[in-house]
Amino acid sequence: MTARMACLWCPDWPVVTARQREPDLTGVAVAVLEGGFVLSASAEARAGGVRRGMRKREAEAGCPGLVTVPADPAAEGRAFEALAGAIETVAPKLALERPGLLFVPTLGPSRYHGGDAALAARLGAEVEAAGVPEVRVGVADGTFAARLAARRAVPGRAVVVPPQGSPAFLAPWPVGVLDPGVRGVPGDTANLTSLLARLGLRTLGDFAALPPASVLGRFGPAGLAAHRRARGEEEHRVATRAPAPEWDVAHEFDPPTPRVDVAVFAGRALAERLSTALAGDGLACTRVRVEAETEHGERLARCWRSGDGLSPALLAERVRGQLEAWVGGRADAGTAEDATGGLSLLRLVPEEVVLAGRSQLGLWGGDRAAAERAARALVRLQAHLGPEAVTVPVLRGGRTPEERVAWVPFGEEAPPPPVYEPWPGAVPSPAPAVVFRPPRPAEMLDAGGRPVTVSGRGQASGEPARLCCADLPGGGGAVEGWAGPWLHDLRWWDPSSRRRRALWQVEVAGGVACLVAVEGGRASLEAIYD
Amino acid sequence: MHYEHLFVYRGSVVSPALIQPARPALVEVAGRARPVVLAGERRLPVPGPLGDLLPGGGLQRGTVVSVEGAGGTGGASVVLAFLAAATAVGEWAAVIDAEESFGPLAAAEAGVALERLAVVRLRDVPERFGQVVATLLEGMTVVAVTVPRQMRAAEARRLLARAREQGSVLVAAGGWPGEVALRLRAEGSAWSGLGRGEGLLGARTLRVTVAGRGAAGRERTAEVPLRAAS
Repeated sequence: MTARMACLWCPDWPVVTARQREPDLTGVAVAVLEGGFVLSASAEARAGGVRRGMRKREAEAGCPGLVTVPADPAAEGRAFEALAGAIETVAPKLALERPGLLFVPTLGPSRYHGGDAALAARLGAEVEAAGVPEVRVGVADGTFAARLAARRAVPGRAVVVPPQGSPAFLAPWPVGVLDPGVRGVPGDTANLTSLLARLGLRTLGDFAALPPASVLGRFGPAGLAAHRRARGEEEHRVATRAPAPEWDVAHEFDPPTPRVDVAVFAGRALAERLSTALAGDGLACTRVRVEAETEHGERLARCWRSGDGLSPALLAERVRGQLEAWVGGRADAGTAEDATGGLSLLRLVPEEVVLAGRSQLGLWGGDRAAAERAARALVRLQAHLGPEAVTVPVLRGGRTPEERVAWVPFGEEAPPPPVYEPWPGAVPSPAPAVVFRPPRPAEMLDAGGRPVTVSGRGQASGEPARLCCADLPGGGGAVEGWAGPWLHDLRWWDPSSRRRRALWQVEVAGGVACLVAVEGGRASLEAIYD
Repeated sequence: MHYEHLFVYRGSVVSPALIQPARPALVEVAGRARPVVLAGERRLPVPGPLGDLLPGGGLQRGTVVSVEGAGGTGGASVVLAFLAAATAVGEWAAVIDAEESFGPLAAAEAGVALERLAVVRLRDVPERFGQVVATLLEGMTVVAVTVPRQMRAAEARRLLARAREQGSVLVAAGGWPGEVALRLRAEGSAWSGLGRGEGLLGARTLRVTVAGRGAAGRERTAEVPLRAAS
């Protein structure tokens, strides 16, 4: 299930920041330079032929009258932080990707503001009120589709892709959009997209139409991740539980520091510590929350994400930018600094972690060669049967033996094993060895030949005397022993998905013990203790 | 075992008399080192009372073992015990679940380390069933399958050859159309702990009959206590 996201994209953020600093540059062809190359160009400069990555001379030759400004990442970060603060009033949970691009999960805010389109309009209005001239808003399932929707949007009119409409929306785009291409850094997908183009797969729809098993076999796990993106699915299975708190790293400043460079130095050390700790477990972080506390008790928090995983360098850069935005922003504000003092605590909390690269193959507590042999055989099998067919079972919380299992395709990250506390109403151990999916129809009759049912108050209508089911040896038989019922009232708060059922442990003649469920007056055989 | 080749002393081979005193110490160390898979026998030890029933205390690598018994009589628990035997020594096991009826919670209770278990979940038997099993035999130590109805003797022979070559064990639930090293039959269980409307399923005693070739020629039946409720 991909979460529905709204993507806010302010194109050419370095130019926007430069114009905020010098209002005379509005309407003029401006190029922001970094290291002698064009980092970002205004719309007027682009009309004059200036492109990202050009040298300064080339840009000036192509576009006379071009004004060049040096890049100022600190100012960009500060301005973006101010924008994020404004967006927070509309939607509290946001994740920043890079200055100029942020994502907002729409589940709560859409309901509050009355729909996706209303939310997008509200966000756009908020951004304009903050002084940013141009913002494009796209709403879709999943971050990849939302980002492309924002690319297609125009200021003032958001593109809202209907729920489950992501695959249809993504189909006509060219495969080149799979490249992240952030700030000129090519990812693994650069080779993949050129290969796909040479193979004749020019659009995302063509690529998405391929079966996943073939994609995995031909292009490897990186190709499968891109394939998922092209289909509008999340490329990483997100862990259902939050990462363990022992991965949080924190640094206390004693005495509290109002200085940017001290904070940035500590922030970089923290970023390296976090990356090393996660890498030691074979994990990478895709979303991190940077938290800070000031001397006077004020708490600041900002969430940064990256679809391809926050590499150590990228994580350090994001932390640095955030700290400069906070601490530097206070220095700018002048008297505000005296009121809030300096930073006293800096903490990094990984909110979402994924497996870095291939899965860990039980390197601890197991024969390494055996694990590699097993992995080779399983990957080969996945290429034949599809990635979903070859799974590793993982236990999780639940009431019935069926609910307690999550099937994780081999090679994907598994959610961290839960600290298991028995759920109320859970069927006690021992667990049955054969679990029917779906449960087989059965008949459980009492001594008078009537089916055993359970009333609304949980009273059984009679004692089970006979169990008949085609999947039992001999078709069933007389009941020799029974225990129960265990009553489950699931999702009572949601009338559309409410389920009420009762479970019995039943032993029939012949020593066969099984688990029988009664729901809505009908009995079914859930499992056999084989 | 010959240790002499390890001690080449000034160009000449060390005489056995010199290393004779060291031999008992080395044997004792070998006994302490785990896991012990005696080279001559290549057996996978099966822990618990089921292992005591098997010749040599375990499964011989490179063979096919068949587990028979009608549904509900305890055959699945025997298969789970074999899977646990493989994962207990750090090796991998796989199950082909052609009816989507495998219960991992029961496997975990039987002692299977779930992180080293792969479950191939399919709606029904795949067309190239033999190829799927052969791929798994290459990578895993124990592979548990339900024998499909239309399995032919030639395919069974090919899979046996593959198991022997890779040194893995194929556990076939159902009738295997070929020769097997061990034939186990689960003949039902007696449950205790369940009353009429009270109590809980508790301990169970499983009747298992083991028959094999060669040294394990005699049929042996035993009552195997399994899994008291925790």
